[in-house]
Amino acid sequence: MKRKINSIILNVVLILVGIITVYPFVWMVCSSFKQNSEIMALEQHLLPQVFTIDNYINMNERFNFLRFFANSLFVTIAITILVAYTSTICGFVLSKYKFKGRNLLFGFVLATMMIPWCVTIIPKYTMIQEFGWMDSYKALIIPAMFSGFGIFNMKQHIATLPDEILEAARIDGANEYYIFHRIVLPMAKNGIFSIAIFQFLWSWEDYLWPYLVINTKEKQLLAVGLKMFNGQYSTDYGALFAATAISIIPVLVIYLIFQKQFIAGIAASAVKG
Amino acid sequence: MFKKSHPLQSKSEIILRNIVVIAMVIFFTVFLIIPIGIAFVGSFHEWNPLSGTYNFLGLKNYINVFSSELFWTSMLNTLIFSVVVIIFRVCLGLAIAYAIYSSIVKYKSFFRAVYYMPVVTPMVAVAFVWKFMYNPQLGTINQLLGLDINWLMNPKTALLAVMIMTIWKDFGYAVVMYMAGLYSLPTDALEAAKVDGASAWQTFRYITLPLLKPMTLFVIITSIISYIQAYVQILIMTEGGPGTTTYLASYIIYDEAFVKYNFGYASALSFVLFVITAVFTWLSFRVSGTKE
Repeated sequence: MKRKINSIILNVVLILVGIITVYPFVWMVCSSFKQNSEIMALEQHLLPQVFTIDNYINMNERFNFLRFFANSLFVTIAITILVAYTSTICGFVLSKYKFKGRNLLFGFVLATMMIPWCVTIIPKYTMIQEFGWMDSYKALIIPAMFSGFGIFNMKQHIATLPDEILEAARIDGANEYYIFHRIVLPMAKNGIFSIAIFQFLWSWEDYLWPYLVINTKEKQLLAVGLKMFNGQYSTDYGALFAATAISIIPVLVIYLIFQKQFIAGIAASAVKG
Repeated sequence: MFKKSHPLQSKSEIILRNIVVIAMVIFFTVFLIIPIGIAFVGSFHEWNPLSGTYNFLGLKNYINVFSSELFWTSMLNTLIFSVVVIIFRVCLGLAIAYAIYSSIVKYKSFFRAVYYMPVVTPMVAVAFVWKFMYNPQLGTINQLLGLDINWLMNPKTALLAVMIMTIWKDFGYAVVMYMAGLYSLPTDALEAAKVDGASAWQTFRYITLPLLKPMTLFVIITSIISYIQAYVQILIMTEGGPGTTTYLASYIIYDEAFVKYNFGYASALSFVLFVITAVFTWLSFRVSGTKE
């Protein structure tokens, strides 16, 4: 009996915290379907009294918001694929090959994760100007090609794959490119998956770097576009809600689809580390 | 162990290894080591790309950092911000993870997935959502609580408002971490406590909590490192205001570097933060070292 009451209280508390967690998203999405007069009204309701999609249409007509969305999608996917590949191949070499300086190199990769963004961003910005990469996606993609976090995690992950399988392939005459692409890559699928999701989210939300290196409005990414939009249309709340909702929804969709792998990924790295 | 796995290296292994190692070294040299060097040298210069100045100043930038009132204000703000957010993050994370863990709750992974949702959403967008929620006219917070506070414009509430939003965004991370920690606990210790007739509270206080200590330290240290670097929520929600009440350490760097273009001063400031981060990283190594 006592156990049952405890259980009910516990569940109620957890549900309440859950509601507080979800509420801002629900409020945002509901508000984006309201008319401006309703958003500004004294009497507020969570659900739109008059349902409208004008905010989404306005937002896109005025600001070409879908363009930012497409830009972000392109850059984010490009970086994600590159980082997933480089992390896996570096992780493979660092975990399965024995060579002089390997531990030094790995220690160095670990150290790269401790550097705060603020230390390197000014010189990187001046370097990009000197390379002549300003206002091009090269400036966004190339400096993000390798990830210390990705290499570290893939090294740990691939180290758990059995050497015997690689050995057997070598005896059968397979070369290392074949072994990496046809054996290691498919076997490290789960690790690659969690690195890719992390990288997708990080690239999607990055604000400062695209803000600094991209000058042409049409080339700009979503996070920066959202801030510009807020600066320019700071009174059209309906459109602001719609724009914000648009930049949150894809991430939530990806998260909800892959949340099992994702949470397993972070939890595993924490328990190990 | 007595036999090397494959002592004869094939040609393709050597080529692949060389390509990968060289690529890695070049990348990190160009985009990490050289920038750190440039920033370090730059921190001793008056460096402004707009006016084209680059004059040697010696330690002047560092002296200016430590004699700047704004720097100390921001350090104090960062300290308050970090301590409050981390306490809530750890306590909420632990309490919720323990509630989910203690088997009477159904749908464990559902709850976990919900709490983790704010962690994955982009900070820029989330900061805007909360900025609207704090809006005194149309915001839902005053409406729901029946209050009349201009949260982000009032010097007394602005930092608090940003902290509440950050707690909301980040506590799910601690929940997931603690759940991972709880599910990897040795069950024999807990069983033994049960057999010995320990109460639920005693078991938690004297067995679970000490066993979770490494996880707690991990969460605290990663939080400190990430809050020293936090600036996006400030940039979107308050821009440091009202006055200087919400200036955080990293926001000054953004402000000095990319609003005022004082690259030299900003570099000096970033090295100060770098040292602080390094101290905490060193601490985290010591902590994980004692675990083994």
